[in-house]
Amino acid sequence: MSSKDEILANIRQHIRQTYDLPGIRPRGICYPDKIAQFIEVSRSVGGEAILLQEGEDINQRIRTLYPEARTIASNLPGISVQTLNPDEVETPAQLNGTDLGIVRGEIGVAENGCVWIPQNVKEKALYFIPEYLLILLDKTKIVNNMHEAYAQLQTCAYDFGVFLSGPSKTADIEQALVVGAHGAKGLRVILV
Amino acid sequence: MSSQHAKAARRFLDNNEQAQWHNRTLWMVREKRDRLAMQLPEWEELRNLASQIKMHSLSHLDYYLSRFAARAEANGALVHWAKDADEHNAIVLNILNEHKVKKLVKSKSMLTEECHLNPFLEARGIEVVESDLGERILQLMQAAPSHIVMPAIHLKRQEVGKLFEEKLHTEKDNSDPGYLTHAARLHLRNEFLTADAAMTGANFGVAETGEVVVCTNEGNADMGTSFPPLHIVSMGIEKVIPDHQALSVYTRLLARSATGQPATTYTSHYRKPRPGSGMHIVLVDNGRSRTLGNEEHLQTLKCIRCGACMNTCPVYRRSGGYAYTYFIPGPIGINLGMLRSPDRYSGNVAACSLCYSCNLVCPVRIDLADQIYRWRQQLDSLGKADRVKKIVSAGMNYLFMRPSVYNQGLRLAPSVNHLPRFMIYNPLNAWGIGREFPVFAKESFTRMWEKGKVKKPQNKDAYEQ
Amino acid sequence: MKVGLFIPCYINAVYPEVGVAICKLLDYLGIETDYPLRQTCCGQPMANAGFEAQAIPLIKHFETLFGAYEYVLTPSASCAAFIKCRASGNIYEACEFLHDVVKVNKLPGSFPHKVSIHNSCHGVRELHLSSASELNIPPYSKIKNLLSLIDGIEISEPEKVDECCGFGGMFSIEEPAVSVCMGKDKLAAHLATGAGYITGADSSCLMHMQGIARREKLPVKFIHLIQILAAGL
Repeated sequence: MSSKDEILANIRQHIRQTYDLPGIRPRGICYPDKIAQFIEVSRSVGGEAILLQEGEDINQRIRTLYPEARTIASNLPGISVQTLNPDEVETPAQLNGTDLGIVRGEIGVAENGCVWIPQNVKEKALYFIPEYLLILLDKTKIVNNMHEAYAQLQTCAYDFGVFLSGPSKTADIEQALVVGAHGAKGLRVILV
Repeated sequence: MSSQHAKAARRFLDNNEQAQWHNRTLWMVREKRDRLAMQLPEWEELRNLASQIKMHSLSHLDYYLSRFAARAEANGALVHWAKDADEHNAIVLNILNEHKVKKLVKSKSMLTEECHLNPFLEARGIEVVESDLGERILQLMQAAPSHIVMPAIHLKRQEVGKLFEEKLHTEKDNSDPGYLTHAARLHLRNEFLTADAAMTGANFGVAETGEVVVCTNEGNADMGTSFPPLHIVSMGIEKVIPDHQALSVYTRLLARSATGQPATTYTSHYRKPRPGSGMHIVLVDNGRSRTLGNEEHLQTLKCIRCGACMNTCPVYRRSGGYAYTYFIPGPIGINLGMLRSPDRYSGNVAACSLCYSCNLVCPVRIDLADQIYRWRQQLDSLGKADRVKKIVSAGMNYLFMRPSVYNQGLRLAPSVNHLPRFMIYNPLNAWGIGREFPVFAKESFTRMWEKGKVKKPQNKDAYEQ
Repeated sequence: MKVGLFIPCYINAVYPEVGVAICKLLDYLGIETDYPLRQTCCGQPMANAGFEAQAIPLIKHFETLFGAYEYVLTPSASCAAFIKCRASGNIYEACEFLHDVVKVNKLPGSFPHKVSIHNSCHGVRELHLSSASELNIPPYSKIKNLLSLIDGIEISEPEKVDECCGFGGMFSIEEPAVSVCMGKDKLAAHLATGAGYITGADSSCLMHMQGIARREKLPVKFIHLIQILAAGL
């Protein structure tokens, strides 16, 4: 008997009573102004969400926000400030040293500032290794809560995907919050 | 009548300043959790759902586990099954050897602690690098975690500063957390880039999609899995949940309960291996299937390892993780330790005042305190009962089952008030360590009632509302 | 209505005035009360220590003595909670009874002091005398509601409003260091409110904290809340 069969047999042998899956769909919190809530909670998790003004040039805005950034990696159409096409690296390690990564998010979640990013670059390292990460998100794609967000994932194919909420952080030394543990030291979402 | 925990707790409390800091800091985390929980009107409903979904998943575990494995394999992952810790470690070693791995970078996994994987691999020549900052600190110190979410919560910044000075050559006497964290970032960045394989735990396995979900704040699991051509997931079989709808419930509860954040920074969904690399999932039983049949303790399998029960536990906060003999401390650890080996871990069962706070913070509503109560009832038959407590209990039974003796005792009790202090307050008397004894009344209530000194309440309609 | 009164062993021996106070209240409310003389202990200390077998005969004994009463009252939340889920019968902690059954809405007398309420674990988390701080439910406190009926009283609550005081029955002697530390912390929180009295529905917690206060020579008094409610009787 293989370990698999043995484990499954043990499980079947030991289950005493079965329980039904609760039928009710969870009711999640809803906000009168999802965008305002998203912006507020983004700040509370150490990030920042800003609205792109009508007619404002996105590349100009990015330049203003990141004047120091030398290596800027992005494969997004319409992003001209990029200096590195992440789809052209041979190894993910070549993304080390990236000052700014610019990526697209698909869903924003108002209750916790999460942005859903299904992998749409060659190496997922792009989401984690840059010193700063900038996410472009369609402001109409902000949902109230995780129930609504996961309901949308049903129709979304992805090999890897991540909900990102704020910059990388740790409090492992004396519970003192430090931003930039391993991933991005700063995370911004531009709502377009 | 002092358990091992009680002795260790006394030593912990002897360092008064540090003990107070520990208590205060973990309470702060509990308060953050409260604030976040109170922001969601549906909080208690979520806890109910989370509990019910887990009970359902556990009672159909064979189905969900098979489905998860089939989907994961269809996604391109290789699924392994390990009956116990030894088999888990052997499987991992085998995979590493096949890929000629010299260096393995790991994110935090309580399961690999449970299996003692690191020493096993290190003894076989594989370099293991923990990448969670807290875990890395402890690894460099050759110490164990004292909390499942905040593993280095028992350490002061100066201790970390000293350690980094020696191991990472940081500036002398610089123990600023920001500085030290940055030093660790640089050090571990290099490890991520040069590792041959990455290992993560799993917070959830989703049966419907075959994906593994890993939650971190640092992004260390993501960094770890982004570079080397091999990702091994070590996952307890109880981590499987049905689908995304279920996952939405747990992702709302986990970080709020654990650290008082609305979400972990990274909630990563590993569905398929990175192109050109391998993904292995090791499903580990190690006693879990047996626990399924243990109706009194089955609910421990619902645990999502948030650590909220530790943060609220007044005993954990005042004794520290190392006071417990099992590697997971606090209310959940007391129970998991007993399921592992009552023989080795029964000393922890006394470390509970039965305040029931853990039951109420638990996001999946595990009956933690009730279970501790039930373990206590089993200690005697396991030959692990405290001798003094046993004698006291038998004595109480003798006294209380004989109302006339009890009433006689009530009459004599006040004479104890006049015993010389040295007879009452001596090292054999644990009550007297920090407390005065209660003073017996001159007359007991029973005596007063008998003597007609108490007005016997009669039926009348004197009270009008 | 006829109630059976259960006075737990330690109240009987150490705090008989709590029993006297509850009798005054019940008399004032016109509720006929019996006090079965052969009562002893509910068995909780043994059970919590891991010897439920030693407690079972006591629960049976309790049922024999009290089974026939319409209501059984005890001025101890902890004992009431223990008996409630083990013995047949209609057991109530005293303030729960006054609040939910009698629905007392006025009481004579005054208590012109500042008190700090000790929300005991079993009172809060098992008997639901007040909303537990862990839960997201509308806040309430039956204890506050009752105390508010008394003239001149100033009511406060400590920080960490329902954290355990560290008594826990035999826990207090098996884990003396942690137990005393918890008690000291709890006392400090009560004292920080500026209250002169600490009150609550559990004399066992009060006894534990009183033991520490006397050792530390702290100027604070302990009083069961039933005694405050009976202050004008």
